[in-house]
Amino acid sequence: MSATPAKILVIDDDPDFREAVTAILASAGHAVAAATGPEDGRAKILAERPDLVLLDIMMDSLFDGYALCHAIKTAKEFESVRETPIIFVSAVKDIAGSRFGFHEGAEGLSAPDDYLDKPVKPADLLARIERLLGK
Amino acid sequence: MNPQPVILIIDDEESMRDACAQILVKIGCRVETAPDGETGLRKALEIRPDAVIVDLKMPGKSGLEVLDELRLIDPAVVAVVITGYATVDAAVEAMKRGAYDFLPKPFTPEELRLIIARALERRFLAREAETLRREKKLLEDNIITMVSHQLRGPLTAIQQYFEVILAGMAGTVDDKPREMIRKAGERLNGLMSLINDWLDLARIDKGALIDRLRPVELRAVIEKLIGFLAPAALESGVALGWGTPPQAGLAVLGDEAALEQVFTNLLHNAIVYNKPGGRIEVGIRDEGNDVAVEVGDTGIGIATEHLPLIFDQFYRVRRSEGAKTKGSGLGLSIARKIVEAHNGRIEVASEVGAGTVFTVRLPKAPAENPPTEDSSE
Repeated sequence: MSATPAKILVIDDDPDFREAVTAILASAGHAVAAATGPEDGRAKILAERPDLVLLDIMMDSLFDGYALCHAIKTAKEFESVRETPIIFVSAVKDIAGSRFGFHEGAEGLSAPDDYLDKPVKPADLLARIERLLGK
Repeated sequence: MNPQPVILIIDDEESMRDACAQILVKIGCRVETAPDGETGLRKALEIRPDAVIVDLKMPGKSGLEVLDELRLIDPAVVAVVITGYATVDAAVEAMKRGAYDFLPKPFTPEELRLIIARALERRFLAREAETLRREKKLLEDNIITMVSHQLRGPLTAIQQYFEVILAGMAGTVDDKPREMIRKAGERLNGLMSLINDWLDLARIDKGALIDRLRPVELRAVIEKLIGFLAPAALESGVALGWGTPPQAGLAVLGDEAALEQVFTNLLHNAIVYNKPGGRIEVGIRDEGNDVAVEVGDTGIGIATEHLPLIFDQFYRVRRSEGAKTKGSGLGLSIARKIVEAHNGRIEVASEVGAGTVFTVRLPKAPAENPPTEDSSE
């Protein structure tokens, strides 16, 4: 798996997850920027201009996570980073697997480019990133 | 009762309609009228009244028939029945059909006002109770979800670290610590399964798991599961497939995800408790009012004394001395709860050394809602 080094923005309030994922991404030569949640993420994505975003969807900020994804993909404010691929990650299978269906039908929020359940398998994560960056 | 209560009067006598309307408008109600049952029911659908006054004896649709149909439109509507033929039988019959009260003609304006006031009070209270019930359920659901999330969060973080370490991405790991970490990870996985299963069990108890009842075509569901579990079956050296070609088009009314869980649990057990070179055969049968699904295996079987207990929570039959029992022990308990929540039954027959057959019976979905079949042939 030859990875073209990229800058990945990891948005997660769990410092342990950030550390673990940083180790995974670093092993593939990727640079990592971190944000502690959707709020922080909004500012960071504009400041850091990452090649890809890993966004943790948490129970208490469920809507915020989806809202951020939707904003990045549709709002004028994020025009400059519109094409940045977004991967949702979640410890709660239902959310990551989107049984909540926020991006379906009436809700109409933009879907992320991919989903992963926590804990992420290192090889899986790197492969998904590779695929999205390859596009 | 705010906002303005809406009353519908269904009576073939114009003078009666007018008189009642006048009386009720005076106490601040909005009144609509209908001269017969059919028109009345149509109006009910339109205006969604809080209370309905129905005359028992009308040409065309009778008051009792109107009561029946009103209940279908709005089970919470309060119906007051009026009639010149005030007999005990008529009153009892009307109450059986869901009437809130019975007012024999002739009645005074005061009597009508009182009865309607009580009826509206009753409706208001019933709706309050329903709202409170829903809020309580929402709260409980949230607590269950919150607790499970509180438990999962830290466990996931630990699992994540293990994944990174085992992948060698946190430096080289010697064999001994590697093996210990791997085993620690397995214990964690077991704990996660337990939490997920508890969450499911709790949600079934609260009736939250059965969200929306839709027609579910069982053959397609099981076909999908056979596909999912094929790798696991292969790994255990067990052949998994249909026994006799399944009947298509047999549908039950249910929650597809929940039913998937039932059969996943049964198939998973059939794989785990099987012998190498063994078979698992699934069958679907039309049994008139029910659909029966059989999951049969050529596994180690279950002794008679265990049979009544296997659906109990955490009950697990030890395979042999020292063999690790996998899973949380909740699989069959969850399966049974889901089946029973679907108004079905689950039964087991077994012979030690020969095999086991689980039979799930579920009521057929009514013919009027044919499921949209997305079967891949």
